[in-house]
Amino acid sequence: MYKTVEDYLADLKQELAGSDQATIQDALSDAEEHLRMAVASLREDKPDLAEETALQTAIDQYGSPAETAAAYAEVERRTAPGLSSGVNRKSRSFLGRFFGVYAHTRAWGAILYMLIALVTGSLYFTWAVMGLSFSVSFSIFIFGLPFALLFLLSVRGLALLEGRIVEALLGVRMPRRPLFAPRGLKWLERLKMQLLDKYTWLALIYMLLQMPLGTLYFSLLTTLFVFSLSLIAMPFAQLLLQIPPIQTSSTMIFLPFWALILIGLAGILTATLTMHLARGIGWLHGRYAKFMLVTE
Amino acid sequence: MVDQTALTKKLQKEMNSGIASLVLLSVLGQAKEPMYGYQIAKLLNDKSGNTSLMKQGALYPVLRSLASSGLLESQVEPSVSGPPRRYYTITAAGRETLEIWTEVWNQTKSFVENILKGTGNV
Repeated sequence: MYKTVEDYLADLKQELAGSDQATIQDALSDAEEHLRMAVASLREDKPDLAEETALQTAIDQYGSPAETAAAYAEVERRTAPGLSSGVNRKSRSFLGRFFGVYAHTRAWGAILYMLIALVTGSLYFTWAVMGLSFSVSFSIFIFGLPFALLFLLSVRGLALLEGRIVEALLGVRMPRRPLFAPRGLKWLERLKMQLLDKYTWLALIYMLLQMPLGTLYFSLLTTLFVFSLSLIAMPFAQLLLQIPPIQTSSTMIFLPFWALILIGLAGILTATLTMHLARGIGWLHGRYAKFMLVTE
Repeated sequence: MVDQTALTKKLQKEMNSGIASLVLLSVLGQAKEPMYGYQIAKLLNDKSGNTSLMKQGALYPVLRSLASSGLLESQVEPSVSGPPRRYYTITAAGRETLEIWTEVWNQTKSFVENILKGTGNV
């Protein structure tokens, strides 16, 4: 029924239509790994076995595309990605929901992500810029093209790695395995394929943009948190340490008690708002990363 | 009329969904080195004789789900012939879980056997 593994994969992809992109990618690479291994091993035992017959036997044992798709859908339904959805207590008061953000794993994950993004962003940016400029300048040499291919492959690899970070911290389902290139290609064809694949370029753009984004996330987060913490610290500074909240070269202004309480509350408010902001940014960044890095 | 084949298939499927996790965890618990999907599928095929209880394709999503719950660890390695393979190993948490699951399985097995034999009641 199926002449090649590619035919089976095409059918499997069709059966999986509508599932999560990342699940589809996982299912396709699992099937490819298994079927190719099975065919190779069957033909090793019986060398005169036709490739098609071997493939048919392998598929009989592996399951039809419909059966395989059903198995993935079933398991996917039961497994939540990354940090699970955090609190799911419903119908709480507005205040409860507002301050409940501190109990959200997603919010803390987003904060961690925004801090890490400064480091990973700079690394991606450096790698992308160096790789691009070396690839262009080496292109006059004989080893220029293999170098460019290696660089582009490393970009796809880093995209996969970034996907793992995004899934763990932002809770967006991302691919767990690389997509295989068609087999038996010469490296020149492979390079052409990478060059024509829009996801190579999207991943590269993602890597370049990750530095400004990472810097923005990091400075936004630290500024807001430092601001909130200093507001919270103000009442303690005056009441316990006698440090005036407002001080110029000639005057020291101590605030009345009620003003200190208000300032402290404002600090708690901005800190909580920052948590919400981080969660929102995490959500947005998750969508964006999925759009840029997950191959259809 | 009762469609026995369909009902039997349904029962088999429902039983498999739990058993597959236990079986895969146990295979990797006994394995001396990391194993990849096809290796595991082949081993299970050899053990089950002629009756194939579940399609091999259904093992992979279960492996992945065990790995994402931290019971297994996995790692992709390139192979000489063909696409890269994902190797799975059991984690410490996986071993602990396997012990508990084995106990649960033994209890379930003896419970079901007792009921099916009809011993102990009447």
